[in-house]
Amino acid sequence: MELLRPSSLEELDGALPIAGGTEIVPLLREGLLDAEKLVDITGLVPHGINGTCIGAGATLAELEVDPQIPDVLREACRLAASPQLRNMGSIAGNLLQETRCWYWRLDYPCRLHGGDRCHARDGEHREHAIFANDFCASAHPSDVAAALVALGATLRTTSRELPVRELYRVPTADDRRTTTLEPGEIVLELDVPAADASAYLKAMDRKRWAFPLVGVAAVRRGAQTTIALAGVAPVPWILDGPLDESTPLHGTAFKVEIARALVERARAAVAG
Amino acid sequence: MARLIRTEKEVEGRVEEVWLVVDEDALEQWPAGPRNIVGKPATRNDGLARARGQARYTADLQFPGMLHAVVLRSPHAHARARKLDFQRALAAPGVRAAIGPGDAPELSDLCEYQGSPVAAVCADSLREARAALKLVDADWELLEPLFDSEEAVARGQLLEEPRRRERGDYERGLAEADVVVEAVYRTQSVLHNSMETHQATCRWEGDTLEVYISTQYVWGVRSEVADALGMPADKVRVVCDYMGGGFGSKNSPGEYTFVAAELARRTGRAVRCALTRREEHVAAGNRNSTIQRLTVGARSDGTLTALGGEYVNAVGADGWISMTEGPMLMLYECPNLRATTYGAKINLPPTKAFRAPGFVEGTFGLECLLDELAAKLELDPLELRRRNHSDTDPMGGKAYSSKNLEECYRRAEPHWERRQEVRSSSTETVKRGVGMASQVWFGGGGPPSYAWIRVGSDARATVVTAMQDVGTGTKTTMAMVAAEELGIPVEDVTVAVGDSLRGPYATLSAGSSTTPSIAPAVRAAAADARQQIEEMAEQRYGKGKEFDLRELLSVLGNSQILGKGSRGPNPAGMTVLTFGVQVAEVAVDIETGEVTVDRIAAIHDVGRVINPLGASSQIEGGIIQGIGHTLSEERVVDLESGTILTTTLDAYKLPTIADVPEIITDLVDEPDAQLTSLGSKGIGEPPIIPVAAAIANAIRDATGADIRSLPISREEMLRALAEAREKTRGAAAAV
Repeated sequence: MELLRPSSLEELDGALPIAGGTEIVPLLREGLLDAEKLVDITGLVPHGINGTCIGAGATLAELEVDPQIPDVLREACRLAASPQLRNMGSIAGNLLQETRCWYWRLDYPCRLHGGDRCHARDGEHREHAIFANDFCASAHPSDVAAALVALGATLRTTSRELPVRELYRVPTADDRRTTTLEPGEIVLELDVPAADASAYLKAMDRKRWAFPLVGVAAVRRGAQTTIALAGVAPVPWILDGPLDESTPLHGTAFKVEIARALVERARAAVAG
Repeated sequence: MARLIRTEKEVEGRVEEVWLVVDEDALEQWPAGPRNIVGKPATRNDGLARARGQARYTADLQFPGMLHAVVLRSPHAHARARKLDFQRALAAPGVRAAIGPGDAPELSDLCEYQGSPVAAVCADSLREARAALKLVDADWELLEPLFDSEEAVARGQLLEEPRRRERGDYERGLAEADVVVEAVYRTQSVLHNSMETHQATCRWEGDTLEVYISTQYVWGVRSEVADALGMPADKVRVVCDYMGGGFGSKNSPGEYTFVAAELARRTGRAVRCALTRREEHVAAGNRNSTIQRLTVGARSDGTLTALGGEYVNAVGADGWISMTEGPMLMLYECPNLRATTYGAKINLPPTKAFRAPGFVEGTFGLECLLDELAAKLELDPLELRRRNHSDTDPMGGKAYSSKNLEECYRRAEPHWERRQEVRSSSTETVKRGVGMASQVWFGGGGPPSYAWIRVGSDARATVVTAMQDVGTGTKTTMAMVAAEELGIPVEDVTVAVGDSLRGPYATLSAGSSTTPSIAPAVRAAAADARQQIEEMAEQRYGKGKEFDLRELLSVLGNSQILGKGSRGPNPAGMTVLTFGVQVAEVAVDIETGEVTVDRIAAIHDVGRVINPLGASSQIEGGIIQGIGHTLSEERVVDLESGTILTTTLDAYKLPTIADVPEIITDLVDEPDAQLTSLGSKGIGEPPIIPVAAAIANAIRDATGADIRSLPISREEMLRALAEAREKTRGAAAAV
């Protein structure tokens, strides 16, 4: 395996981009990704935080302590992963991480891997989805993505600008992908608009370093509050109806109860 | 003089009668309390080396030309490998050799769990070996798997005959009871997660096989490997210097050792076989899950009249039936008892001993049951336990060599009395409470174990024993005891462990037996050297004269005083046990099911404490591991395939430092007057035993919810709260 450090993004040459490596390295090690060439884009994508603009290479550790960052995003960063991982992991990499579904991670021939079954639906799925889980019950693991979706943040990539929300898609039989990122397309910057008040609450299996069972991002601007959830659907989930509309599996019904409590608390926390 | 005795030897509840050669333990016990060195906190003598990364673990060893072996594991939970073809694998780049069933012990074509070892390949690099593994062509005959332990019991698919224990008249005891409580408790399977994965590097030096291994039993590995390979035991040298954790899972050689030995023989190279973290979570052992159907009968004053238990241990494809019924047999004075323990044989990975095997699980059931009884009788849980204290061993009436459980209860009082204050700090959504649980365990150690000591002309000493230090601080403990006896600074004692070629026999590090077994032998060796030194002094300076040790020893030049010592016999006809009690404080978010352990007070009676700092570290470690077992850890299995799904450290949730509560350690520190010249027992296992029950009982105190299943995950907590609400509504409706 080769690690390339080119001087511009034009020279990626089909190689697999890697920044902090906290997601790519485990996927390579487990054989879920295969690459002969890796290209280190750390020096090629923008870094740093400037007002509402965040470089794709900014680490979660930088974001969690920066006063320019809205509360919901800072808190989502702080409650994600471990200090070691946050020191390495970039925000763009965090947005692009794959599901933690244990069947997917063990390379079961599930629907996300192109197969014809969701093993989690029939099997062990306590960490899985309560929304949009009919085809694939995987849960999106990113706290940060839920915060950005709630904030209405946008992305600039090498080829376009789009709302963070549109980076994600619920997988279908025709197209198993969970993001809309095209091959070779690299995230460069994020624009994160300010909020009047915002908060992120998270339920996890231990006090730190666990993916969300339920993450609740709440953002208020004027009288309008937006709620987005992590860990409840194959993509970051905008809650635009009541939780009663969720479709929990036998083993994920408890997540609805937790979500109900945390949504209420988050709304109270951002109330004007 | 050496004495041949016939005695009972106990390891983690497994008792066998053996012949032993022992020396009498002739030394007077030191008086209770701290001495110059022993009894005062000492930092690890290898702490800096460990912290600086200088300590060499088995995983760090590199030999010239060393090859890497990987194990082919069954992809099926129950299958037979009809044909294995290594042709393509052997042709792959870097591959040196491949072996299959029949070539090495523990490689088998009959696979009774997913992950069982079938074959192995070694290559120049780990990467090449892994790539070659995929090229081994196997033809599988699939057999019907069984994963349900109760179904296995129903079908009579058992590891061995059920273990039945009985005392008194159980039916009469129930008939005499004013109150009977029955409940079913369940505990999950958890994984050891040794930081250093299971591994060995083997190489041949002429006709001697050198085994470098991460192990809890240097001498057990030596004899098992020698037996398996048909070699004289002294032609097998076993080395374990620094060791990265075992918790009971590294008592035997394992397939990785046999694979490395055989591939080393075939290739003439050193061969390393190390499990990956994923393999570690599948094939390195586990604490088996249990189902416990328990019954307690008591008079209205709380006196127990009957205890009954049906225990189903889901042992897996192989293993042993740990003593889940142990706490019920040993903790309380209850005249009538009936316990049956089944070892269900199912197609999941074999159980291995895991820090107080059986007792962690059984104490959760028994001590929660006691609290349910206390609630029914409206008795204080601490008082209920005091009323049922056993003054002699309830199994057979033998005297205890020492027992200070009542003193533990007395010391628990100030922690127990905090409950009004703790409860009253509850809010609308966060409920707080206090719970307790008692603990009984073995931990007396026993013979044989030996130590040698060299004292040089500079008055520095080296302790030599082929004991292993499994990371608990054994080397420091031994240095302290030797320094105390010799009257020299602890810094002047070097300890050499873990090499069967270069030190005498010492016992396995399991059952909290390391310190109580080896420390008296070290003291005896130091005393032997000291006596020789005094004899020298008498000849040089005259009888009873004061002398300077360095000046006296300077005559030795490059030579040395040599002392040897051994562990004497355990007190005949007595039961040697450890006891303790823990008091836990918790906070429960009743809307989200989040449980936070705020504080645990741990009061334990393990005889004399040699190193209070080492002992409190052991208690903290045990409690943290116990919190993982109680709240977040669970080996999750796909019940269609038998696949272990939690094979990484993000999926399998060990506690983090943020999950650790305030821990208060209080050790009774009263030497066991009957046991050895030190009166010390082991502390490795006692602190993990009462954790789950203390937390579950605190949750009941806080919320009224009955916790009967581990782990207390969010969903389990919310389920128990809903059940409690239902019960309250039902009771209200009945009124």
